[in-house]
Amino acid sequence: MFTRHVSRRLAPYIDGELDAAGRRGVEDHLAACATCRLAYGQVRIGIESLDRLPAVAAPETIWVALEAALAEQRPYPARTSGWRWAFAAAAVVVMIAAAWWIADLDAGKWIVTDAATRARVAVGSIGYVDVEPNTRIRLLKDRPEEHRFQLAHGTIHATITAPPRLFFVNTASAVAVDLGCEYTLSTDDNGSGLLRVTRGWVAFEWKGLESLVPAGAMCHTRPSTGPGIPYFEDAPESLQQAVDGGPDGLNAILEASRIRDTLTLWHLLQRVDPADRGRVYDRIAALTPVPAGVSRDRALALDPETLKLWKDELAWTW
Amino acid sequence: MSTLSDREISPAILESCRSGERDAFRALYDCYKDRVYAITLYFFHGDHAIAADVTQEVFLKLMTNIVQFRGNSEFSTWLYRLVVNCCMDTARRRRPAAAVPDMAVLAAEAPSQEEEYARAQTGASVREAVSALPPKFRIAVLLRYFEGLSYDQMARALHCSMGTVASRLSRGHKMLGERLKDLVGPKG
Repeated sequence: MFTRHVSRRLAPYIDGELDAAGRRGVEDHLAACATCRLAYGQVRIGIESLDRLPAVAAPETIWVALEAALAEQRPYPARTSGWRWAFAAAAVVVMIAAAWWIADLDAGKWIVTDAATRARVAVGSIGYVDVEPNTRIRLLKDRPEEHRFQLAHGTIHATITAPPRLFFVNTASAVAVDLGCEYTLSTDDNGSGLLRVTRGWVAFEWKGLESLVPAGAMCHTRPSTGPGIPYFEDAPESLQQAVDGGPDGLNAILEASRIRDTLTLWHLLQRVDPADRGRVYDRIAALTPVPAGVSRDRALALDPETLKLWKDELAWTW
Repeated sequence: MSTLSDREISPAILESCRSGERDAFRALYDCYKDRVYAITLYFFHGDHAIAADVTQEVFLKLMTNIVQFRGNSEFSTWLYRLVVNCCMDTARRRRPAAAVPDMAVLAAEAPSQEEEYARAQTGASVREAVSALPPKFRIAVLLRYFEGLSYDQMARALHCSMGTVASRLSRGHKMLGERLKDLVGPKG
């Protein structure tokens, strides 16, 4: 009996990453399939070709620059000079005289900045949060496995270097979950807010909804609906307006979208009326080839594995 | 290809790094620097300046935040994630100018002996073929080759499933093989 092609299992087969049954399956198929035998030869050549890459050594200048950069970071961080570090509402705010960062903010304490002040808060040892003017924020949890803030209103800029899902910021209508990144988050007292990501990824989550926001993209959140559809800051204006609730929303988005805007379309597929899903699917498929493993039926049924597989492929254009 | 297990940093050095000892940082840097630099250099089409910047960024983040890590496995996972994130983020920022292989590097490195010159040319062809891979295949191929990561480690570093790793490596190597079939014959 002829089995499915094994072209995508050839590297693990050659690398010895398949179990005995997997190896047997590949070998049986190769014995019967000339197409996959050809592919096998090509993969082998591909793997062996890498031995021809010239060896390279890192230049010593990198270490010199590293030492200089590390020296600059002590005390942490040097580029904050010139900021005013002051905090209102003394009863609830941690004050450190003549300090320029807050080392040990206790859980439950609020930081409140007025129109003329800013603050910087260390997040364990994984990064820091810059608190912009007119902002109210507090630390909810500060554990190695969970650093969680609550942003009541105002704007923060978070710079985090850590494995995903260690740093969280709650707002009234969404939770920003760090996936290893740098971002700016603003919100008002009602929960209307905006997330702009400048590095890495952020998951914007609320009551089962999740918007994945990569570097260069932004996403609104609103009290009644939670995180919205993310879009790139360089997306066509008509697309941005349509996502933000402009007239003729879906048509405008479909018409204006570029390959990179499959970020918006992939999220939209899961949020539009079921009757409109097919149009969104077709637009993505027209912009970029649908990968193997993604079928129209399963995508329209919002099958989680299918959506994830498709997202993983599309994300390389985001 | 040497594998990661040959060359991993010792737990004692990691512990000293967490204590902020400069010599331990240097030992850690020496252990990984060439591999990280090679990945970034080949990822960024032979551009030494970008490779140096990205390598510096990786190690700066690593050294600034190493105190939080306990155990070698977690550290390794984090290092590779940093490499992947820094490469992909930098590639995104540089998108319009990204894909021109640096032939000047080849010229500067070409040896005088005919045989070595031929070898250098082969290397340059392989490097160009690697450069032509889509970024997701390129980073997977480079991580596998230079770091000798298992598929499980690669899945964690690349934020994807092991099946996706297998698929990307298979497709990436096949693309290389198609392009280099006249240049590099299978061994043995």
